[in-house]
Amino acid sequence: MAEWNRKSGFDLSGRRALVVGTGNPAGAAISLALAEAGADVAVASATLDGDEVMAAKRAAKAVTEQGRKSLSHGWDVTLPGNVQVGMRQVSKELGSPSILVYNADFSLAKPIEKITDTEFGRVQAINQNGAFYCARSFVKELEPGAVGRIIFVTSIFGERGIEHYSAYALAKAGVVGLMKALSQELGARNTTVNCISAGWMDWTPGRGPDEIGENRLMRFVPMRRFGKAEEMGALAVLLASEASGYINGQTLHVDGGVMTHL
Amino acid sequence: MTLQDSLRLDDRVIVITGGGRGLGKAMAISLAEAGANVVLASRTVSQLEQAAAEVKAASGREALIVPTNVQSSAECDALVAAAVAKFGRLDAMISNAGIGDRRGSGASIYDLADEDWHDTISVNLYSAFYCSRAAANQFRKQGPGGVIINVSSGTALRAYAMGIGYGAAKAGVISLTKTVAAQLVGQDIRVNCIVPGFVTQAPPETEEQNQRIAERGKFVTVRRLGEAWELGPLAVFLCSDASAYITGETFAIDGGGLAGGIAPTGYAMDAAGGTTNG
Repeated sequence: MAEWNRKSGFDLSGRRALVVGTGNPAGAAISLALAEAGADVAVASATLDGDEVMAAKRAAKAVTEQGRKSLSHGWDVTLPGNVQVGMRQVSKELGSPSILVYNADFSLAKPIEKITDTEFGRVQAINQNGAFYCARSFVKELEPGAVGRIIFVTSIFGERGIEHYSAYALAKAGVVGLMKALSQELGARNTTVNCISAGWMDWTPGRGPDEIGENRLMRFVPMRRFGKAEEMGALAVLLASEASGYINGQTLHVDGGVMTHL
Repeated sequence: MTLQDSLRLDDRVIVITGGGRGLGKAMAISLAEAGANVVLASRTVSQLEQAAAEVKAASGREALIVPTNVQSSAECDALVAAAVAKFGRLDAMISNAGIGDRRGSGASIYDLADEDWHDTISVNLYSAFYCSRAAANQFRKQGPGGVIINVSSGTALRAYAMGIGYGAAKAGVISLTKTVAAQLVGQDIRVNCIVPGFVTQAPPETEEQNQRIAERGKFVTVRRLGEAWELGPLAVFLCSDASAYITGETFAIDGGGLAGGIAPTGYAMDAAGGTTNG
């Protein structure tokens, strides 16, 4: 009887990953999850903000504590040259990554008429332009024949509207469009492209107090709580695995069910 | 808990309808390998026995087989009761049984017969409702917790001209998933949906089958058909604690078909003269 050539969905041994964006805790949590699954993981900040660069260093240290190889870089993803040089450097130091997780995240809450050109540009540059630059450099550095995986971490705000988030919504929706186009372009080359769309998470600005009685937003989330960074890790591992080669072009929500209801 | 611990399903009791072959059997094997006690249901005993043997070979675990017609609500209740009688509880229900519009396949809206419509809706949608209800009632008896996974189809979301009833039923399965997810979230029960695209049910046995699969695969974004085993890790993830913050969600596994579909596969805009502003 014929047999399938099955692969594990949760073992990334021998794979190399790059996680970009440690401005929120998902970057570190996903880096750690990929390392726990056996991957070597390079971690880059998305901006040169001191806290974010330090978070990238800590995330890289946590990877090495899992016994995996790691390194951390301070990147500015708004500069395509910086991204290209950084990607090349990662390839030199660690070997070219076959898994890219783009977790850069920069939000802005303001009425549209009050958003300045500079603010708007910054939101687009980090959330959206950086996603394009990183994906482009990743594809350039990808070894021929490698099983490639691109995962963009996006947000429910790119798919459903909320007041005073126009610039952010535009950028996050743009990433979903990028993901879909690349899913078609790279699909024939053994590379899948998906989004993990985060709901209201612990670190989401404007989420309100921890006590549910005082938090009408929390009561609106079906699970009556906000998501934790660790809850994004396993899905990232699954999508990064060789077993997920038929999951492509999807936006998968880690959101406690908030996208389910009316 | 480590990541790998959170993906274990040790001694969880998981019912899989349509478990005698294809996607159901493939999911059952992965779930059993992750430590679950699987309960296989379908109408055809010989297939169930074969599937149980494959589960045993892969995982060393004994599967319970329960011949079941999922179009009968009483039999779906009895299926859950049989699982509980054997293993003492139920942790997850995977409602995977379904058939294409075999009898009504290709029938047009002008003349699709009542019984073919009913039959297709019954086996694909009623079954998911009966199994969800039976599982939910068992979960309620046990206290908080539980997982339901429904298996829909890409034809729920895009027109497939050969199957009127099938697409409608599978779209109903997605709606059922979301509503039941919203109803049961307070009991810590998660309900999600897997949406397979073109997936081969069994490994090809002959070169001719291989050729046919390869030929059909050329039209898929990733240039191949999916293989049933590829649903296994996804099923494990959705049954496990690693997906704790995910409910009401639809997981398409279609090679990228639903993300595209506005032009033939491989249609590149520059080659087609689409670069007019550069």
